[in-house]
Amino acid sequence: MSYLEIDNASLGFGPHDNRTEVLKDVNLSVEENEFVAVVGFSGAGKSTLISLLAGLLQPDKGEIRLGGKVIKEPSPRLGIMFQNYSLLPWLTVFENVALAVSQVYPKYSKAQLKEHVEKYVAMVKLTPALGKKPSELSGGMRQRASLARTLAMKPEILLLDEPLSALDALTRAEIQDEIINIWESDKRTIVMITNDVDEAVLMADRIVPLTVGPEATLDTPFPVNLERPRNRTTLNTNPEFRRLRNDISKYMVTLNEETKALSKNQVVVDLPEMMPLDFTNLPAGPARGRRRKKVSSDKGGKKSFFK
Amino acid sequence: MAEKSSDEIKYRILKFLDVTGFTVFDPMVRLAFGEDPKKQVESILKFMIIPIIFVLACIALWWKVAPNHKTKSGEVPTPDIVWQSAVINDTFSDREKTKESDFLLVGEERLETLAAVEAMIESNNAILTELQETLAGHVADYEAQLKERLEPLQAELDVIKEENKVIASEMKAKVEAEAARIEAGNGSSDALLAAIREQGAKKDEGRALESVVKDQIEVIRSEKYKPMEAARLDVNAVADEVQFLKKRVDFLSSANRSMKVAQAEEKLAASAENLAAATTAKKAISEAKKVVRGEDSIARLEAQQYASAMTVYTQIKRSLFTVFVGFITAAVIAIPVGVLCGLSRIAMACLTPIISIFKPVSPVVWLLIFQIVVGAFFPDPDSHPFFLFFGSLPILGKLGINPALVFSACTVAMCAVWPALVNTALGVASIDKDHINVARVLRLGFWDRLIKIIIPSALPLVFAGLRISLGVGWMVLIAAEALSSSDGLGKFVWDEYQNGSSFSFANILYACFVVGIIGFLLDRMMIILQRFVSFDGSNTSL
Repeated sequence: MSYLEIDNASLGFGPHDNRTEVLKDVNLSVEENEFVAVVGFSGAGKSTLISLLAGLLQPDKGEIRLGGKVIKEPSPRLGIMFQNYSLLPWLTVFENVALAVSQVYPKYSKAQLKEHVEKYVAMVKLTPALGKKPSELSGGMRQRASLARTLAMKPEILLLDEPLSALDALTRAEIQDEIINIWESDKRTIVMITNDVDEAVLMADRIVPLTVGPEATLDTPFPVNLERPRNRTTLNTNPEFRRLRNDISKYMVTLNEETKALSKNQVVVDLPEMMPLDFTNLPAGPARGRRRKKVSSDKGGKKSFFK
Repeated sequence: MAEKSSDEIKYRILKFLDVTGFTVFDPMVRLAFGEDPKKQVESILKFMIIPIIFVLACIALWWKVAPNHKTKSGEVPTPDIVWQSAVINDTFSDREKTKESDFLLVGEERLETLAAVEAMIESNNAILTELQETLAGHVADYEAQLKERLEPLQAELDVIKEENKVIASEMKAKVEAEAARIEAGNGSSDALLAAIREQGAKKDEGRALESVVKDQIEVIRSEKYKPMEAARLDVNAVADEVQFLKKRVDFLSSANRSMKVAQAEEKLAASAENLAAATTAKKAISEAKKVVRGEDSIARLEAQQYASAMTVYTQIKRSLFTVFVGFITAAVIAIPVGVLCGLSRIAMACLTPIISIFKPVSPVVWLLIFQIVVGAFFPDPDSHPFFLFFGSLPILGKLGINPALVFSACTVAMCAVWPALVNTALGVASIDKDHINVARVLRLGFWDRLIKIIIPSALPLVFAGLRISLGVGWMVLIAAEALSSSDGLGKFVWDEYQNGSSFSFANILYACFVVGIIGFLLDRMMIILQRFVSFDGSNTSL
């Protein structure tokens, strides 16, 4: 029996007659001190999955067990780090972390509490910002603070919900390294959710793809047998790394195409015959509103520079 | 190093301006510290000079337009008259204070002050007679000029009147002649009617001519002779001063507290002597009674305070006290109930009908309801322990707490409770789901969750609500005081309206500015509080 187990869990939302199954028959077992990454498209149900693991949601069917015991409610044993930091904006970094620590270690004296908090804040290299409020911090610093808060509770399992998706590429790389360092020095079970295949390959022991929702489920895992410590600069030329990345990417793309095909087969839409209106006779003027947006998105719009 | 500390001071001042919402003065501070002068001058020009010019233009417009409108309380006062009324109110308040201190003076000091005041009366009287002479001169001047100007018009009028009389008698004769012809049997009724009509027409014509001249006379009479008016104002001012000084003399001599006490003690001593010398039982009883009464009256006199007239500053203090009583009551009710509504949808559903129905009710209605309800609690307010208790307190005692204040405060509370309640409920209900998740992960108990997560997250909205509440409360209070005759700025306005002296209208406008400025300051105070509790660092105000 594994350490953390998801056993045939399903979860849906909505009324009985119009129910959307978000997750269906999800199975996963995580060993102690393992680093598992779950990769999936946005909207696949990744956050729902992590909420299930954290005990914030209960499955309609099936069970989630930690060390053989069913998870019924959130607990400090399951340290979740939210996608959007979830720091309390009226508290400083110190107070945010201290709130969590005093909840887990209610018997700590003031000095002990201070020491504990400062240790974890130092671990994420945020000591200079101890007395600052979240609104005074950058995105990366906020994520570090959030990480410190989660780590300071000394959870048995760290659940990371797309922890780096809101950060710029440079900060992202930095925090990736930090998470790996912390994990390596202080072995712990981690389940990380991400939409970045490179990140998953770089960090995890095992990568589990989440199929496209609704009725998403976890597919066969890809084990990552790269040596640690992994060096991100040399990794790009590593054949194993490239093979894995290509395999997973290819798999993800087929998933996406499958769903596209699926939705095409399900919904047959007769497109009406239409002729575009001729706007060339209109007086020329600067593009405004929707037209302008259209123009700008045609001219490249937003595309990730790093992928 | 010096560079650095001056920078620090600058940022401190800027921060202060930001918190208090006076960011308008930012460029001035920056300019004073020599930061990019060109840019600062530009923004001073844009955001200070132009607004100031605009406000001055508004005042100028007021100055120009106001005198054109004649009301039953005189012309609409111009800004200078309103300013004058502010000065008069201030002087009045000062005089009340002087009288009070005079009333309480004792011993040598009293005698010295008395002498000084009497000397002042002397000198003022001298000035007064001088001024009165000048005034008399101006009056004679005016009369002479008036006579000179009116005489030709009067003569003209007399001529017209004479002519009219002649015409009238002619007409009368004509009518009578026609009537006589009818009597004789050779007249026609048509001719008579025509004659009567002609009579009427002529009469109207004559009157019109007369009224033209009369109007001219009227205009001349109503014209103001400026030197005379000015002299009259001077005389009035000095006469006023003299009267005030005479009143001071009263308070320094016969009406002074120590004097009254001394007098009573003298009487008591006499009675006590009589009592000791009493030979008959009847006499002894009557003298003993006098002694007892004398002792009582001394005790009463010693505790006597000066009965000050209500000055505008006392009214302001009382209004502020009332509004805060009402506002704090509102907050004490609104915040817990709002939190409850935000937490529980059932509570919200229960209270929604009550809030929706009572929120739009006019303050006037609440005032009348509370007047009846509160009145029933205090059938005899003068001897009710509640008011006796407040009356005995050192500072509050001076405000004169009475049922009118209680129900004005209740009205304020009733109207101010809604915005705070609704905003608190909204703040609590709209708490970020992530924060709730944090609370769940940390397994915070109900109270920890309430105190550490829910209330801090709702605070900015709570304070936004309180700010609206205080604004509403202040507006409602002025109306409530005017209507309920509870002393305060509202009553000040109402009294001025009823009183109808030459300065009433100016006093009302003055009160309008006082109410406005105090309302503005209260709002600013709330903005500062709101800034302290808002964690997102956003601007809260204009």
